[in-house]
Amino acid sequence: MTWHVDAEDLRAYSQGELAPPAFWSADTHLVACARCRAALAEVSESVDAGWVRLDAELDAPRPGLVERLLVRFGVADHTARLLSATSVLRRSWLGAVVAVLLMSVVAARSTGSVTLFLVLAPLLPLAGVALSYGPALDPTYEMAVVAPVHGFRLLMIRTVAVLTACFGLSVLASFALPGYGLRALAWLLPALALASAGLALSARLGPLLAPSLVGGAWVTLLWAVHAYDAHATLMPFTVAGQATAAGVAALAAGLLFLVRDRFDHFQGSAV
Amino acid sequence: MTPTVSASGLSLRYGGTRALDDVSLRLSPGVTGLLGPNGAGKTTLLRVLATSVPADSGAFTVLGHDPGTPAGRQEARRRLGYLPQTPGFHPDFTAFEFVDYVAILKEMTDRAVRHREVRAVLDGVDLSDVRGKRVKKLSGGMRQRVALAAALIGDPGFLVLDEPTVGLDPEQRMRFRELIAQAGEGRTVLLSTHQTEDVAMLCHRVLVMAGGRILFDGTPAELTARAAGRVWSSTERDPGAKAGWRTGTGSFRNVGSPPAGAELLEPTLEDGYLLTLDDAEVPA
Ligand SMILES: Nc1ncnc2c1ncn2[C@@H]1O[C@H](COP(=O)(O)OP(=O)(O)OP(=O)(O)O)[C@@H](O)[C@H]1O
Ligand SMILES: [Mg+2]
Repeated sequence: MTWHVDAEDLRAYSQGELAPPAFWSADTHLVACARCRAALAEVSESVDAGWVRLDAELDAPRPGLVERLLVRFGVADHTARLLSATSVLRRSWLGAVVAVLLMSVVAARSTGSVTLFLVLAPLLPLAGVALSYGPALDPTYEMAVVAPVHGFRLLMIRTVAVLTACFGLSVLASFALPGYGLRALAWLLPALALASAGLALSARLGPLLAPSLVGGAWVTLLWAVHAYDAHATLMPFTVAGQATAAGVAALAAGLLFLVRDRFDHFQGSAV
Repeated sequence: MTPTVSASGLSLRYGGTRALDDVSLRLSPGVTGLLGPNGAGKTTLLRVLATSVPADSGAFTVLGHDPGTPAGRQEARRRLGYLPQTPGFHPDFTAFEFVDYVAILKEMTDRAVRHREVRAVLDGVDLSDVRGKRVKKLSGGMRQRVALAAALIGDPGFLVLDEPTVGLDPEQRMRFRELIAQAGEGRTVLLSTHQTEDVAMLCHRVLVMAGGRILFDGTPAELTARAAGRVWSSTERDPGAKAGWRTGTGSFRNVGSPPAGAELLEPTLEDGYLLTLDDAEVPA
């Protein structure tokens, strides 16, 4: 053979885009030349691979906003997808959190008291964690429970995400209350205590009852303290109260770790 | 051949209800049907075998792994596909994203490999055209196929399907049966159903369950044979029959102990099932 079809023409040929007369010469040449046929097969394959890639892009539709943001912040794409299945990371839930925080900030600014804000902020992560898990609230719960991924690991991935979202928004809200200095951050330790206590107890009491009890206990405690002395700083927001909250958070986290295997089975009533 | 699943003495109580009462069974490749009336304990048995709920007592293995231990449970789960009675979906996910999500739960972290698999299982259940559609916009039959695809991801050796044909119209049901038959080639499938038709068309073996106990374990032909000589026709409802119903021809089909000289009929799987429940004094 004195000549061979050049690479550009082969590619065009394989895609049916080579026009005569170049097409005729390539066509007759290919019949006779094994080397060019091999080259053609190679080009066609890479074209196919290109189609497969394109196909893949079309299939995997543009991920949602949360998922894209997470990937941007360096979260692995599979973890991001697990997180995007967390219902509370959806706009509706985040919107509710923002609304509660806005309302309490406005109340703090108009009444001159930061109390309402401090009472409500710790309840948000508790509710968020509770809402992101369990047979009643996670529609794919039954499938997730029997997946090889550990239930506890899944729970922790979602918890960290919920806490990050809630804490981020609450810290922003605290910035809107500059007059109170660090006191505007006094919700943080109680929030950790409530969320971890809610989770630790849910291993035994189920994902609905446990957080409800913990939330109820928090509100009752504050109400009792307020009834006892309406003018003093509410106890959880004093130094001693903060230390207690930190202790409770650590204790509950320890307990949660001890009972982690319980999250490997179906919890709560069926049907 | 070692069975895929081997269970002995499984019991589970919910308060005063014996949902499972000393159940022992062995499952091998092919589709096994689990028939039983409402509240028989079908879902409970499937949940236990799918490692979702631990039994109070008894033991079982899945592909040689003991789900009673954390390590064995994880191994068993790696080889398991489960379609729950009421599969849930995240409403915002597309069919592709949903199956992809389940694939991630099954530890498939390599994105390219995972996406290839997700496409393959969706193709397998004829959903390639609607991969990019949101699950909430799909028809009930399509949604059920998405759930089947999710159960099939990762090529499980043991597939557990809880009443997968419920709520489908006859045409969709036929289509779904074909898919189950395909899935049953070379793997062990346990399928619970109310419909004897599902069993007749799909299963090489059938279990009948009621009150938490296994009442029958054998081939569909054997279950049918239980009604041999116990089905007859009459022009009026026969008060001596255990059960009777009017057929398309207007005459009555009765099961039980036929009176002398009755016109005996060829038994069906349904007759065998009804009589098995009746012999055990369980209302169908
Ligand atoms: N989580 C639960 N808590 C209390 N009782 C339960 C629970 N799950 C099942 N039961 C009871 O156990 C028995 C068996 O229920 P199961 O759901 O296994 O029946 P089934 O055969 O699947 O019924 P169906 O055909 O209606 O799906 C029933 O009496 C039911 O009420
Ligand atoms: Mg059931």
